[in-house]
Amino acid sequence: MPTVKFFATLRQVAGAREIQLEADNVRDLLDRLSTSYEGRMDRYLKISTVLVNGKNVVHMKGKKTKLKPDDEVSIFPPLGGG
Amino acid sequence: MSSKYGGYMGKFLDIDLSTGDVREYEVSDRLREEYLGSKGLAARILYDTVPRGADPLGPENVLIVNTGPLVGSGAPCTSRFNVSTKSPLTGGVLSSNCGGNFGMFLKRAGLDGILLRGKASSPTWIRIEDGQVELEDASELWGLDTEQTQEKLPKDTGKMVIGPGGEHAVRYACIISQERAAGRGGAGAVMGSKNVKAITAKGKAKVPVANPEKFQADVKKWIHILKSHPATGEMMPAFGTAAFVNRCNETNTLPTHNFKRGSFEQADAISGETLADTLLTSNFGCTSCVIKCGRRVTVDGKDVKGPEFETLGLLGPNIENADLAKICEWNYKADLMGIDTISLGNTLGFAMELTEKGLMDSPLQFGRTEGISQLIEDIAYRRGLGDDLAEGVRVMSEKYGGKDFAMHAKGMEFASYEPRGAVGHGLGYAISNRGGCHIAGGYMIYLEANGPLTMDPLTTHAKPQLTALMQILLDALSDAGSCQFTAFTAVPKQALALQPSGLLYRILAKSLEAFGPAISVMLRYPQALAIVPPMDLLQHPKAISDLTGMKLTFGKYIMVGQRTYLIERMFNLREGITGAQDTLPRRSLEELQTSDPRSRVPLAKMLPAYYRVRGLDRCGEPTRETLDRLGVRA
Repeated sequence: MPTVKFFATLRQVAGAREIQLEADNVRDLLDRLSTSYEGRMDRYLKISTVLVNGKNVVHMKGKKTKLKPDDEVSIFPPLGGG
Repeated sequence: MSSKYGGYMGKFLDIDLSTGDVREYEVSDRLREEYLGSKGLAARILYDTVPRGADPLGPENVLIVNTGPLVGSGAPCTSRFNVSTKSPLTGGVLSSNCGGNFGMFLKRAGLDGILLRGKASSPTWIRIEDGQVELEDASELWGLDTEQTQEKLPKDTGKMVIGPGGEHAVRYACIISQERAAGRGGAGAVMGSKNVKAITAKGKAKVPVANPEKFQADVKKWIHILKSHPATGEMMPAFGTAAFVNRCNETNTLPTHNFKRGSFEQADAISGETLADTLLTSNFGCTSCVIKCGRRVTVDGKDVKGPEFETLGLLGPNIENADLAKICEWNYKADLMGIDTISLGNTLGFAMELTEKGLMDSPLQFGRTEGISQLIEDIAYRRGLGDDLAEGVRVMSEKYGGKDFAMHAKGMEFASYEPRGAVGHGLGYAISNRGGCHIAGGYMIYLEANGPLTMDPLTTHAKPQLTALMQILLDALSDAGSCQFTAFTAVPKQALALQPSGLLYRILAKSLEAFGPAISVMLRYPQALAIVPPMDLLQHPKAISDLTGMKLTFGKYIMVGQRTYLIERMFNLREGITGAQDTLPRRSLEELQTSDPRSRVPLAKMLPAYYRVRGLDRCGEPTRETLDRLGVRA
């Protein structure tokens, strides 16, 4: 089952650093997260970057990117650094 | 020389510390139009005042402290000041930027900047009040740490001070103002070499505004943009720059084991999230800041400033340390001593690898925290092993070997981004005029790994052109006196609502790779960009226009940024820092970071295109055509 890793404010919303979630592809995973968290995560999911094994999904097949059981999906809202 | 423009106090003082003379340094409105202020203007003045071959720690070097027009105007996030000099770390041009409130106080004192020449005969405190300068005796301050020094200075002043690091000429000694630092490149050592312990400023002057109603409307809008944007209005207040630890870790750009790797298994232990959950007591901001990215933590029962991303990365994974409390302690200690935490962390990592490989005899070991706090003090006082580490990685590599993994460019240690995970960022380190700097190199990491819109981090397509464009925009922003973090709204919140994981971003991410030629044309003919962008797109040109009365079109704004890089480059060339120094250590160029054959920086492939888009010849020198077109006089 893919591992979903939450970062920044998503951790507070999720109440966890990571969870396991069954999903065929990234779109499916995001939909399941929306349902699991009863819409509380939607605001952040909409504006977040999604990485699969460290690679931004926009460099793969976007939300159609298929997921394998040992994949790690990392979700980051917009951040700033220095 | 007074100015017809708003935003400027019209006075720049030239202080000869050897003689005690104070006179005015003439800055014309033409120079203000060409460079705005801050970094760019200071680079121009440095070029005009520092003789070739000057010893950075000798009396011929000049230390400039100045501001940009936005500073003190009421615009958000504009409490900045710039320090420029010839760097003792690189031997080339240095601009080091700092938050806090000193910039604002300098303007209230009626000044746009000061220039320090010569050397005082004894420890000196430069006291500036309402445009008047007094050189006070600082013998009772000399030897104190930066906190003690500031406590002894008048409370109603803006202050910038050095600690023992600057007094003992640590090559990466910094200047501290409140709890912020003009960190990189050794400006603190230059200040110490002039026997200047502290500078204070106060006054009652007000920053003139050319179009008060329009400017006030701009300020109101700008504050709204910053507060309502997810990055600047929510994430940075909550997690600070520390939030980048995990993002870099996930994208293989977090320096680990002296930049040998790009990720650290225990990264989360020293992340912004963990900091927020455990040691953080509150956030804070510089005067006039609405982002408030600063962290506050408790060290030895005392409320102090917490670490930024750079410090976390370089004193964390880079030395295989997962103890967040230790990083907070070392961060505070380094600030007290007045030494740059970025160069410190990088130098420690290098020393650990030298020891690991048997090239140096020391007790240092990756993952071992014992003795580091004492060593920070020893570096500041140049005692024992500290005396070696005070020299930085380039000098250490000349003494001990290990040049292949001495992670610097032009002598300045890399910042906390591993460039083999983002090759454009690697190019930026190589061509940055002040050395291995992430900001002066264009901060490409944001477009390659960490921002909401990212390109393939390992492609070279369009990276040279985008690097140049990012540098130009960040330089112009800095010249204006703004905090770089205001640039995080460049992807507007409306664009974020179009889903960074969605199809539009997928198309954009790929399209960026084809932008190279368009960017080249834009930078060759910036005058064609004759409009002032609306505040929603890019806040700085409009705010500067309404504040100053200059019509700062996007094209003119770009040209300000272009001139800044060029004049800095000319300073470096005159000092013998040529295109041959636009390079990186072997670890970045030849060692693969992962099994991906692209996971190293293909600098030779990107450099020629970068030179072209910058108007440099094949050796990296500005062409006559470029200098004439931008009006940069040698």
